Amino acid sequence: MNKTRTAFRILNTMIIALFSLAFLIPMLWMISSSLKTTPQVFTYPFRWIPENIRWVNYKTVWTSKDLPMLRVFYNSMFITVVSTVGQLIFASMAAYAFARIEFKGKRFIFTMFLASMMIPVQVTIIPRFMMFKTVGLYNSLWALIIPSLFGASTIFFLRQAHLGLPNELVDAAKVDGANHATVFSLIMVPLTIPALVSMAVLSFISTWNEYLAPLIFLTKPKLYTVSQAVRWYMLDEVQRYELTMAAATSSIIPILIIFIFCQKYFIEGIATSGIKG
Amino acid sequence: MVGKHASNKALVKENLAGYLFIGPSLIIFLLFVMVPMFASVFLSFTDWNFLSGLEGIKLIGLKNFSLMLKDERFRYAISNTFIYAIGTVPISLSVAMVLAYALNSKIYGKKVLRLIFFIPYISSQVALAAVFKFIFRDNGLLNEFLVKTLQIMQTAPDWLNNDSLNKIPIIMLAIWTGIGYELIVYMAALQAVPSDLYEAADIEGTNSIQKFRYITFPMITPTTFYLVIVRFIAVFKIFASINIMTLGTSYDSNTSMVMEIYRNSFVHYAFGYASAESLILLALILLITGINFLGQKKWVHY
Repeated sequence: MNKTRTAFRILNTMIIALFSLAFLIPMLWMISSSLKTTPQVFTYPFRWIPENIRWVNYKTVWTSKDLPMLRVFYNSMFITVVSTVGQLIFASMAAYAFARIEFKGKRFIFTMFLASMMIPVQVTIIPRFMMFKTVGLYNSLWALIIPSLFGASTIFFLRQAHLGLPNELVDAAKVDGANHATVFSLIMVPLTIPALVSMAVLSFISTWNEYLAPLIFLTKPKLYTVSQAVRWYMLDEVQRYELTMAAATSSIIPILIIFIFCQKYFIEGIATSGIKG
Repeated sequence: MVGKHASNKALVKENLAGYLFIGPSLIIFLLFVMVPMFASVFLSFTDWNFLSGLEGIKLIGLKNFSLMLKDERFRYAISNTFIYAIGTVPISLSVAMVLAYALNSKIYGKKVLRLIFFIPYISSQVALAAVFKFIFRDNGLLNEFLVKTLQIMQTAPDWLNNDSLNKIPIIMLAIWTGIGYELIVYMAALQAVPSDLYEAADIEGTNSIQKFRYITFPMITPTTFYLVIVRFIAVFKIFASINIMTLGTSYDSNTSMVMEIYRNSFVHYAFGYASAESLILLALILLITGINFLGQKKWVHY
């Protein structure tokens, strides 16, 4: 009995591992190509491990004169970190208000926020473009940051986290004379940290990978984000495929690191918002 | 009297606190969602090329919408968008469901395997589209494999430029990147299936395929339903992959709704017409969400 069970387990594992190859091969192709010379990228038979590994490709894209990935990383990091932190602060405040404060129009505003999740960015991006052009934020990293400070799904998720905490906590603090600012910052925020981390990871990943908005609002190469950098290397007349792949690999690495460290929170965030819909 | 005064004051204070806490989010929401939304509705009734300046705005009523009916490109974009959604969602959900079931059973190296399936989902769509574009090239990895290694094909198919084939790499990429997300949601749903159902089935002597068919599958229909809607909406907004795959070429037979909106707005600066097109996208999304509300009552068995 035990033997067949183990055999079954090995068989199961092998089937899934075989399947995972379909997910691994394109990534391995990308990494392998990023370490070759241009002609080697498309020679047959394909060599998974290049004869002489060219780390210099990474040095080239990171320090290139026209579009250094170093600069690109700074731009993406700045946008992502400021957006994520700002959105979390604003969203937690709103979540607290929705969960713990009684004010006029609360239901109406909450419904509007929820409904806004359905509005695709394509509907709002043309007027946003006009607004940013008018106030001089076109070709500024802030054009990407400011709108992302509002996060409907983050507010919704954090509100659930706030509602999950016992009322007695707030009531007891209020008896002691604490006001909303104190209850929020000293009790609710520390107790909702896991939910905050979940939302931080989700927001970080989606902001980092953003494409349409940077494409429209940032047209100067020195403001390019990671997605635009990969596009730029693809468009480059010289067609150095290995550099495109080095840029692509570079753009994925930070996300992968964050994901590996915060996998639990990431999954939690998606699973909870996913199941509850 | 004094008591009423005090409670009135408390009420004002409570309202004020509410708006202070919600204020930052509310302001951004009004400025960057609400106002632009109404501005788009207004623009959709105008003929306006951004380059002609504010004086160039002409109110034309519903003409943009009647033009759209005759716009073959946009019709083509809508039908392509549906092809992408229908080509992607059923396959990717079935694979994700089976994978989630398998990953929930006892296997070795579960964590590593799970991570591998998640990587495409968290990675930059632009980076992955670039990789797919190279793999699907005429002399790319896939064609070398099909023509030279397996030798099941005489000539290399032109995946990127052929009018009927060029939707395949885009659909494949959408499936490949969607599975990670669907997998997370399915795995959570599977863990929520009460274990006594399986225990009861064990006593009856059912095998694992029967268990999947008669217990797991029906128990996770709400999740499946939710995922169908979410993924349909996501694929409706498909843009990055097509934009990258057609970069530097003049091929556009694989265009999508968002590709057309982008082209009309930020390549041709026809803001009026593009706004009207974006409202059609919104209408389709609302329609699908509406179906979700109705369908949940009818088709889903809890």
